[in-house]
Amino acid sequence: MSDQERTESHLVDVQRRFPVQTPWYYRTGFILGTLAAVVLVGAFLLPQPGRLSTADKAVIAVFFGLALAWGALLFSDPGKPEWTKTVTAFGLLFLAGWLFYRYADAQWERLNHVFFNWQLMQEPAEGGESAWMVLFKGLGITVQIAVFSAILGTTLGLLLAVFRAFNNRVLNLFIIAYIDFFRSMPIIVLMVLIYYALPYTGITLSAVASGILALGLNSSAYISEIFRAGILAVHHGQIEAAHALGLDSWKTMRLIILPQAFRVVIPPLASNYVASAKDTAICSAISILELLKSAMQVQAFRANPTPLIAATAIYILLFVPLTRLAGVLETRMRVRRARG
Amino acid sequence: MREKCAPEVMIEVVDLHKYFKDLHVLRGISTKVMRGEVVAVIGPSGGGKSTFLRCMNRLEEPSSGHVYIEGVDITHPYVDVNKLRTEIGMVFQSFNLFPHLTCIENIKLAPMHVRKVSEKEATERGMALLEKVGLADKAHAYPDQLSGGQQQRVAIARALAMQPQVMFFDEPTSALDPEMIGEVLDVMRAMAEEGMTMVVVSHEMGFIREVADRVLFLADGLIVEEGTPEEIFNHPKEQRTKDFLSKVL
Repeated sequence: MSDQERTESHLVDVQRRFPVQTPWYYRTGFILGTLAAVVLVGAFLLPQPGRLSTADKAVIAVFFGLALAWGALLFSDPGKPEWTKTVTAFGLLFLAGWLFYRYADAQWERLNHVFFNWQLMQEPAEGGESAWMVLFKGLGITVQIAVFSAILGTTLGLLLAVFRAFNNRVLNLFIIAYIDFFRSMPIIVLMVLIYYALPYTGITLSAVASGILALGLNSSAYISEIFRAGILAVHHGQIEAAHALGLDSWKTMRLIILPQAFRVVIPPLASNYVASAKDTAICSAISILELLKSAMQVQAFRANPTPLIAATAIYILLFVPLTRLAGVLETRMRVRRARG
Repeated sequence: MREKCAPEVMIEVVDLHKYFKDLHVLRGISTKVMRGEVVAVIGPSGGGKSTFLRCMNRLEEPSSGHVYIEGVDITHPYVDVNKLRTEIGMVFQSFNLFPHLTCIENIKLAPMHVRKVSEKEATERGMALLEKVGLADKAHAYPDQLSGGQQQRVAIARALAMQPQVMFFDEPTSALDPEMIGEVLDVMRAMAEEGMTMVVVSHEMGFIREVADRVLFLADGLIVEEGTPEEIFNHPKEQRTKDFLSKVL
């Protein structure tokens, strides 16, 4: 008898003495049957849309809650076959979409005309330009504000972090107060203050300058914290080694600390740039004709929300790759740190 | 053997004290280091060996007392610390090479930015030093591509590039795997033979016995005993020294 045969016969022996059976609720047939039942109930047996009584709403909520709970039980059991989970995931997602479509009580048939009226986007608008042109001009201003506020925020943030690293008590108190102030100040409040309140003191800034300043000040607070973390992450021995070689504090900062800090801060910095680039939409509050405001204007003029949908699409197309990039940088950094 | 005509005082330490808050780490250290001398500092951990070394180039500020290097009191507030440190090479236990720079860049950084040597000259001198520590082929490698022993040899070359008057070694082999200790000690031995003034904090008793001219036994912030390796290792006078040596030898 070979080893393998012996092991197999042993297994058979154990199974005979302790019969291992799949319980009924574990079997594939039951799982699929339940799924089919849930989908069928969802499709045909729930109350008709229209005026729903409270009891009807409760029935729908309980039904969907049960479906979710049942899915959660399935997903959390590592012993269940993977394909049943895949089928269930599709089933639940379909169900959620179906319930929304059925009970949202919306005029879905108007959707194409209202939301996706691309014809309207191409027609020349009031100034002889097509809606697309207006939106792209807005996009240009959005990009311009994002870039300049990032430059302003980075410069200020880096300066604050470097000065903070020298550990002067008075200066640090000021820097901490600055950071706390701008981090707790809602950007829109800051922007409105700069654009509408500051002129009373005689300091008048253009709308775009106000937007850039508000966004830049806000992100400088966050960026300075990022740089500070990067500077603190540089091992103290590095600073000692630099000092022992006779490098003064500024040279140590410039040649030893910052180059090492920059590597650490690139991923969080990238995420921060993406976040504050999205915040440019706040500039619509002080009537800068950036992407969102341009879209809102065309929408008001045409009484059709398609421009807003187009603006959304532009934001998504712009920011999904950037968010992805920031995520990739972060993962790469984490991998490198785990290795190193 | 090294020639030592006309012994000249290189470093003189007078009644050096150091407190860390309430902790009295150095309790009055006085000693002299002659030019060309190799002084080893031994003693139990926490005894103040590293602090003593670091007070002498003001990586730690001495609390009181004086340190004269070539006659200049470096504890004086008007002393240019950075200038002072260019005269003192320091090698750390944890190497502290700059990880964002290659070996040759590590070495030529300080000569270029502190001594204002031209890049060409700094590179040439750096390559010669790498040759000397046996790592010329690693000039363009980054520190994390090197073994511990290789990193420490580069760190020694980096310190030597400033052409210091004296070299401090703060437990240079304590962070190394045993098989790499020898290569670092060989480099240090060669430096001693060339007549470099060295102060070495180390636990490598065999190396100290062979290379050091004088041994300081430092415990509880005081120099308990000092003498030639022969005196300290073979005929220690103080009980404290005997206890320590019986544990490490």
